[in-house]
Amino acid sequence: MPDLAPAVAATTADQSPRVTWLTRFRYRHRYVVGYLFILPWFLSFLWFDVIPFILNLYLSATNYSVGPLGRAKWIGLENYTTIFTTDPRFLKSAGNTLYYALGAVPLSLLCAFTIALLLNSKVRGLGVYRTAFYVPSLVPAVAASLIFLWILNTNYGALNRLLGVVGIEPIRWLSRPEWVKPAVIIVSLWGFGAQMVIFLAGLQDIPRELYEAVEIDGGGAWRKLIHLTIPLMTPVIFFNLVVGVIGSFQVFTPAYIFFGTDGGPLNSGLFYMVHIYNNAFRFFKMGYATALSLILFIFILIFTIILVRTSDRWVFYTGGGR
Amino acid sequence: MFRKLSRRDFLRLAGIATSSAALAACAPQPAPVATQPPAAGAPAPTAAPAAAKKVKIEFMNWWGAQRRPLMDQVITDFMAANPNIEVTNQETPWDNRDQVAATAMASSTPPAVMMSTRVETYKYAKEGLIIPIDDYVKAAGVDVNKLFYPGEINNQRWNGKLWTMPMPTGGGNSSLYIYSKALFKAAGLDPEKPPKTWQELDDVAAKVLKKKGNAIEVMGVDPVGGTAAGATTLIYWLVCNNGNLATEDARTLTINTPEAVETLEWLVEFTNKHHGGWSNCIDFWTGNNDTAPDGRFYKDRLGIWWVNVSAFSHLKTQAPDKHKDPQNGWGVALRPYNGKNAKATHHGETGLAFAWGQVIPKAIAKEKQDAAYKFVEFLSTNNKGVCAFLFAQDRPAPLISCNANPDYKKNNPYWDIVLKALETDMSLPITPVQTEISSFMKEAVEKALLATAKPKAALDEAASKGQAVLDKYWKGA
Repeated sequence: MPDLAPAVAATTADQSPRVTWLTRFRYRHRYVVGYLFILPWFLSFLWFDVIPFILNLYLSATNYSVGPLGRAKWIGLENYTTIFTTDPRFLKSAGNTLYYALGAVPLSLLCAFTIALLLNSKVRGLGVYRTAFYVPSLVPAVAASLIFLWILNTNYGALNRLLGVVGIEPIRWLSRPEWVKPAVIIVSLWGFGAQMVIFLAGLQDIPRELYEAVEIDGGGAWRKLIHLTIPLMTPVIFFNLVVGVIGSFQVFTPAYIFFGTDGGPLNSGLFYMVHIYNNAFRFFKMGYATALSLILFIFILIFTIILVRTSDRWVFYTGGGR
Repeated sequence: MFRKLSRRDFLRLAGIATSSAALAACAPQPAPVATQPPAAGAPAPTAAPAAAKKVKIEFMNWWGAQRRPLMDQVITDFMAANPNIEVTNQETPWDNRDQVAATAMASSTPPAVMMSTRVETYKYAKEGLIIPIDDYVKAAGVDVNKLFYPGEINNQRWNGKLWTMPMPTGGGNSSLYIYSKALFKAAGLDPEKPPKTWQELDDVAAKVLKKKGNAIEVMGVDPVGGTAAGATTLIYWLVCNNGNLATEDARTLTINTPEAVETLEWLVEFTNKHHGGWSNCIDFWTGNNDTAPDGRFYKDRLGIWWVNVSAFSHLKTQAPDKHKDPQNGWGVALRPYNGKNAKATHHGETGLAFAWGQVIPKAIAKEKQDAAYKFVEFLSTNNKGVCAFLFAQDRPAPLISCNANPDYKKNNPYWDIVLKALETDMSLPITPVQTEISSFMKEAVEKALLATAKPKAALDEAASKGQAVLDKYWKGA
């Protein structure tokens, strides 16, 4: 911010008292406007994030159910001990969620990036294609999941009919434990349009002259992709990766629509968020559920920190900045 | 005159503002809050509130679809009889019911009356969120033991107190089934002799079944009966094999007794023998809602439909032509029992699933609690309440007198079988932690059906885990 002190001093000496007062006020409280602008956000941050988080910390060490907070009894680390020693569904749901994250995040990144590359080329009707690929991501997750309930039907679903054309036997997407998670991963690909738009914006930011330089050096499309496009897109890939990982650890809707709170055959669709939901709202073990959610928070935090720390090795920022 | 606003000042002010908002939001309501109903002998709490003041109450319920106008009519009739009380029909979507119900009840402004399953009622009672109605009932002179079927009223008692009155029936949940006479005839079965034992079910399953590869096109009988197996899958059949969920005092689970193991073994063998594994059954069930017009039973794709007493209303609404032709279209019979067990006989269960009542939260003003009780009493015991509401759905009532209405037989020629089913219902001994125990039972049934564990091993594991939860509950209680 510029130093206004000399101006204030000059004003004090030369201007009328009213102007002097206003100028002095504006100078002394030059930060107030900024604070006022962020105040609504800050209040909601306190009310909806900080206070619930602190409350969550406290409740995770209690046997709180759903009644008045005063009935919650302090039990120290008992919830955490139970989670790590005697809750078989903790490991099951965490494993299911990790499986989903490892499948859904790379696949959706790959799909979004590939389609963005195609949509970045100059072809007739580009706007129509871009809209067609983006629109599905606007469909609410509940509606998309209901549509996939039909698409994935073993006997008359569209996907198995398509596979049947190339001679693949019908797959029991929702009735066999081994296929449940791949089915949910397929559903997650439905929403890659949002990532695709971000990739597309990044691709359009790459200077044309860099591609011309590669062409002058005799490089073809493959070299342009490997040596120019991908390295310059790494900040965008990194952003989508982090956001994708955070989202994938909180997968809930498709599993809930497909299997309700039961977790599907042999709990193969019991994701971590469903496990939290069950403990909170079905078993009324709210304290235990808050402990589970805190563990998820810490896990996502650690995972994100690892991603950020290791990003130095593969993310390239133009100008060398971060 | 003016001081620079530092970051610290800003944070302090923001903190004060947020805390003030929090305190304001959490502040108690201005109306006095009653924690207990008045003792017996006090002026009758059901007396109409002062004429000048109209008490407004909300009734949160899940009576959607064709039941909504029926409930609206009940509320209209109640308000006509109680002009000082205004009831809002707060019909709520079924999605996320667990979450919606729990958060509504735990909030500082819950609805004055909330529809609640038996196990939810027990959980709310355990957490001190609802009030018992014993004193209200006593003051109003209502003899609940005479008015209701014993199993029905006992479903609403916990810890020695009565928490609500039943509405609709908790019974009739598993004790009967509807079968397709058309499919029976087409398969060469006698439509007037529906199966009475597990062993007779074999014949129906084999003769009605039509498959195309692994895909089941017409199902004769699926004893699991849906996409998901659950605690009810086991219990519905276990009570027909001289078994039960737990001992009468609800302290010891009995889900791994020889009868229970035999029941699960039968379920697995039957499913594998007739349908080539449970996955084929899930594929058959996935996709349709059986209370929608394209439900499998309505379209003659299902020989035997395991349903509760709400099915008659759905049948009338979604397949009116079929409903009008009970001689050729559909029949009703009691759930079959294990013919190889001499002690086994037909039974239904009541109280494990659903068994609805309407509960009154503790966190509302006393005048609202009084009005809420009046509404609960009207809804559960009045001719214009429970009787009218359930008769319009061809559904029996937990209130014994309603079911004597001769017009029931005009709508349903199998009415005597429906009443017989209600008589054979057993109220299961459950506790507030039953949902968690049921989740272990669900895992056991699935493991057995998907052949990842033998029935006995699966049930032993479920019993062990469930008993640990039960022991912890009783220790705390």
